[in-house]
Amino acid sequence: MVERKHKQILVKRLWGLTRLAWLVMLVIVGRYWAIQILDGELYRELSDNNRLRKQEIQAPRGVITDRHGVALAENVPSYNLLFDRAASADPEASQAFAARILGVDVATLDEPFAAARMAGFKPVRVADNLSLGQVARFDAVHLERPEFDVAVAHRRLYRFGHQVAHVIGYLGEASRTEVEAGHYKVGDRVGKKGIERRFQDELQGSDGERVVVVDSRGRVLEEYHRAPSSAGRSIALTLDLRLQQTAVRLLDGKVGSIVALDPRDGAVRAMVSAPSFDPNLFAGRLDRRDWNALIEHPDDPLQNRVVQNAYPPGSVFKLVMALAAFDEGMQHTRIYCPGYSRIYNHRFRCWKRGGHGAVDLREALKGSCNVYFHELGRRLEIDRIAELSRFFGLGQATGIDLDGERPGLVPSTAWSEKTRRHPWYPGETISVATGQGPILTTPLQVATMVAAIANGGDRVRPHLRQDDATAERDKLPFDAARLAFIRDAMAAVVNEEGGTGRQAELETMTVAGKTGTAQVIAQETWTSNDELAPENRDHAWFASFAPAEHPELVVVIMVEHGGGGSTGAAPLAQELYATFFDTDHEHDGPT
Amino acid sequence: MRRFSTPITSTTVLPEPRSLVARLGTVNWTPLAAALVLSVIGMATVHSASAELPVDYLPRQIAWVVIGLALVALMLAIDYHALVDQSPLYYGVSLALVVLVLAVGREIGGARSWIGIGSFGGQPAELAKIATALLLARQLSRAHGEFLSFKEMVIAVTLVGVPVTFIFLQDDMGSAAMFVPMAAAAMLVAGVRLRWLIAAGLLAFLLGAGFWQFGMQDYQRARVASFVSPESDPLGAGYQMRQSKIAVGSGQLVGRGYGQGTQSQLRFLPARHTDFTMAVLAEEWGFFGVVIVFGAYAAYLGSAVSIATRSRDRAAVLLIAALIALVMFHVLYNTAMVVGLMPITGIPLPFLSYGGSFMLINFATVGLLMSIDLRRDAPR
Repeated sequence: MVERKHKQILVKRLWGLTRLAWLVMLVIVGRYWAIQILDGELYRELSDNNRLRKQEIQAPRGVITDRHGVALAENVPSYNLLFDRAASADPEASQAFAARILGVDVATLDEPFAAARMAGFKPVRVADNLSLGQVARFDAVHLERPEFDVAVAHRRLYRFGHQVAHVIGYLGEASRTEVEAGHYKVGDRVGKKGIERRFQDELQGSDGERVVVVDSRGRVLEEYHRAPSSAGRSIALTLDLRLQQTAVRLLDGKVGSIVALDPRDGAVRAMVSAPSFDPNLFAGRLDRRDWNALIEHPDDPLQNRVVQNAYPPGSVFKLVMALAAFDEGMQHTRIYCPGYSRIYNHRFRCWKRGGHGAVDLREALKGSCNVYFHELGRRLEIDRIAELSRFFGLGQATGIDLDGERPGLVPSTAWSEKTRRHPWYPGETISVATGQGPILTTPLQVATMVAAIANGGDRVRPHLRQDDATAERDKLPFDAARLAFIRDAMAAVVNEEGGTGRQAELETMTVAGKTGTAQVIAQETWTSNDELAPENRDHAWFASFAPAEHPELVVVIMVEHGGGGSTGAAPLAQELYATFFDTDHEHDGPT
Repeated sequence: MRRFSTPITSTTVLPEPRSLVARLGTVNWTPLAAALVLSVIGMATVHSASAELPVDYLPRQIAWVVIGLALVALMLAIDYHALVDQSPLYYGVSLALVVLVLAVGREIGGARSWIGIGSFGGQPAELAKIATALLLARQLSRAHGEFLSFKEMVIAVTLVGVPVTFIFLQDDMGSAAMFVPMAAAAMLVAGVRLRWLIAAGLLAFLLGAGFWQFGMQDYQRARVASFVSPESDPLGAGYQMRQSKIAVGSGQLVGRGYGQGTQSQLRFLPARHTDFTMAVLAEEWGFFGVVIVFGAYAAYLGSAVSIATRSRDRAAVLLIAALIALVMFHVLYNTAMVVGLMPITGIPLPFLSYGGSFMLINFATVGLLMSIDLRRDAPR
């Protein structure tokens, strides 16, 4: 074919396609004509008056209750201020305006307004818990300031505030990484501590969305579409609010903690750490001053001392040692206590200046004689003590449904070489035998340990959630008769003449317990705690259960710098048992 | 008679510089004029659409247009025959880049199609479009008959199919789809018998059905579904479509006025500086603005085909067919999408929408058109 002619054929086809394209163009222009000219009025009206707005429907968070259904964390309506950056002509002016109406310093709004920049074109909550007056003022200026919107949302209310703060925890804004990971939206409030955090996924529910048609003033004309929210799941705890409140009252003004649990299944009935804080502070936007006051407080109110602080158990540890005494066949051996021992050329003190005289195991437990246990410690290897301790769950997290639990410390030769890089000294075993030296336990671990003694040798997992399907127990390899012996000795501590826990005695039932005193400073002499500066005074322990015959409640009390366990901790137990086993008390066990 | 299948000695040095420069006056300048008019309208619209965006895209858009104009000058200086001859090289390089992106490209906007080169990212897929157009022109201009043989068609389809496959693997469905009108136009112009057209139509239908079933992501299906029935998804694509139509319609005859479009300024419109530039323009400039824009595109198309008519060889005609099909498909699809005639997908409007590499492709096309016209009867 001739090239020129061939090219002309191609050109002809190209013109054909071009005419087709022009035709299509004409059709499209016709469509613009139809929309802009024929239906222009309609669309102009739609644009002017009918605007679709997406609104979020916040899912109500699950309610947290105590074992009797009393709400510990609930939701109340609150007015939040939303800021839509895309609708603001001058975000800085908007911020100043909001600060003026809210009556706060402009700088305090820096953070939420910066978050709005990050959120792009979605409205972001910049303030919450507006007063009705403030709501009215934002509403009044809606025409000039369309970037602001007031939304009704749920606000978390902790009716019992500081009384349950460490258990319930609190909420906080989702972190940037959580938002970027796509789990949450900017401004979402998520559990940061305690039960709120542990069961965040169940509590949160899922937000809904609705699209509304609004007029040019932003007033809602009609609903266009709705995807309903679904509420978060409610969670019932094992806590007994009345017991909890009694514990709070008993610790008022003190630094320390109380934990009470059912020895039969590990259900926690009370968990109090003092000093406490008001979790409601976190329900809205936390004021920086409030936050600083909390983190700079010398006694760290945010810390849950029941699980996050470990102390030497003091004489409470003698309960573990008692089992070793059986192994050594020492339970009926009488040891003479002159008020001190001299072992390895070192003098170890008994708390009783004049000495206990000759005591066997039962009497040594009852009177908390150190000398008896010094001798027992002299006969034992530290690794055997460590083994017994671990059976009881010491030195490891109990597995309670709270985050941030400390494992404590059970010393052993391996630990000494690995961590301290020097061998274990036999003299240290003598200290550990009375619960002093490098041994650390959390109050919850002590409670679990006492529960195992009380329930006849089952290690239960303490838990706060009522329908805890994962509640488990381990049968410990201890002879029932030996445990019964220890329970009897513990009853003697409280109920017999010469016992160290006499101040916990109740008329209505038999309380069994063991006092403990954790030394804060090493003492060579017998200095009364009254003569020491408060920060040097001993920590007071009391670990107990009742009724002694068929234990239903374990109570562990730990008062920092409370002096001796007999006077600093044991008296508190009395009132707790009285409260729990009150005559009109109906729930005496798990169902 | 000579065929253009014979190798052409390629060179970037113009054989007769003086006569070419002198001939500049006779070149059809309409494509450039249309491109400039559209670019200026585009810059103004992008600026207006940026008003409520965190960044004003105008300075960057200006930069792209300036680079585009430089590209026109460069294309004018290069003999398009050289480009056609060297097209296998460009094709190979761009294919390598596409594969490279597939291997190491970073995720942007869900599609792995950007190679980071400073803030001005370059999209190898765009380069592949031009390279493929050149190679198609080269390949199809070697055909002897009035209609393509089966073998010639298979070769052409394969040449297009390879880059399309790789780009599709990057999840860049939009870019991959753009090869289809390009290849279709070039092949139709080169000559396809009716029976093959019918066969292709049937095949396309079957492939489309299979693709809908197995090859599409849920969100893509949702977009098509919401196009068919916009109320089915008022929050997503249906919402965008509705907002876009409200924007266009409310512009009426003369528009809301520059910077006054409430749909655009109150952020009802999605992607208003890119895919929905036309909606902003229609809202603020009214039907008048729309007609001016369409007029410019029509003139651009007409002038391109005039250039093809008086061009020297079949390679020029085929190259123009491929390139113009690419540009015009964008125009038709985008403008139709904005008024709800097509499902919403990320196809920008040539010369108007904000976007770097796409802008360069459009200006490169203008340069090639003028380069072809400059050499319409130059002695070789």
